[in-house]
Amino acid sequence: MKDSLDLKTVIKNLKIDARGLGIPSGAAEVFIDKSVQAAEKSLRSKKIITEKDLKVAIAKELKKYNADFAYVYENRDKII
Amino acid sequence: MLKLENQPPSCYNLTMSFFISLGIVFLAMLIMASLQLQPGVFALFYHYALGKYSKSRASDMALLFILGAEVSAACLFLCAYYIVNLFFLCQFRPETSFFAWFIVGVLIALAFMGFFCYFRPGTGTKLFISRKCARALDAHALNAKSRSDAFTLGALSGVCEIPFTMPLYLITSMEIMEMSVEFFPSHLLTILYIVVPTLPLFFIRWKYQTGHNLANIERSRVKDKAFTRIILCLSYVAISVLFIYFRILA
Repeated sequence: MKDSLDLKTVIKNLKIDARGLGIPSGAAEVFIDKSVQAAEKSLRSKKIITEKDLKVAIAKELKKYNADFAYVYENRDKII
Repeated sequence: MLKLENQPPSCYNLTMSFFISLGIVFLAMLIMASLQLQPGVFALFYHYALGKYSKSRASDMALLFILGAEVSAACLFLCAYYIVNLFFLCQFRPETSFFAWFIVGVLIALAFMGFFCYFRPGTGTKLFISRKCARALDAHALNAKSRSDAFTLGALSGVCEIPFTMPLYLITSMEIMEMSVEFFPSHLLTILYIVVPTLPLFFIRWKYQTGHNLANIERSRVKDKAFTRIILCLSYVAISVLFIYFRILA
């Protein structure tokens, strides 16, 4: 999964989003780590994982910690 | 009104013509201020800038973005002005010719497009521009590092909206050129026409500065989607009707 979907870029963009939303950096790192780990866990059973699957899974996990963060992550490509 | 009727008809016509022109220009301003591409790109850009830089730097870059948007609007208006001026120089009255009907046809088409195609179907506020272009704007907003990048992005987002703005620039430049009353400086209207459409950008900047974030702004944009569609459609139709009735048929 890491190779094909470039998880590093996803995490980097999530950090930018979190800072843009005014979430403290420590809290943001915890949210991101936990969400990405949970998303990876939930997608482990799938043979083929698309970018959309990963996005939905991360957004679902993020929603537990911060609704605005999840909303921005989910809708970023729907703004323009 | 009574006083105007007692005056010679030419003066009455002149005043009437002035108010029609003013109405058309104000409707065009309303449309320009309702268009969503620049506010969308600006909201994204400000969000990314806040995510990467300090608040003061993000605010500075946002101002440069707005300046870029205004400069692009001014350049596009100048282009439209010179196109119309060329027609006048060639003794070709744009408002009583095939050109006028062409512009009106485009405006009516834009009224339908504003209602049906301006926003793509589905959730969010996906706009009419191609997805490749949207991704390029998003990437440019994400990777903007300097004030010049911000300025370019502002100008670029203005240029991307040309399909919906160019007919308006042509019509308003025609109207401003025809304004020949002494008591109103038409240059002031030109400046207003360039500055007023960027007011939503100032409003978004103010929202960010008062603690709002991209999620709040996007939620309100989604909520107002139907209203924006209706405003766009009605304003385009109103301009077309005013132009046909008071310019072409008159």
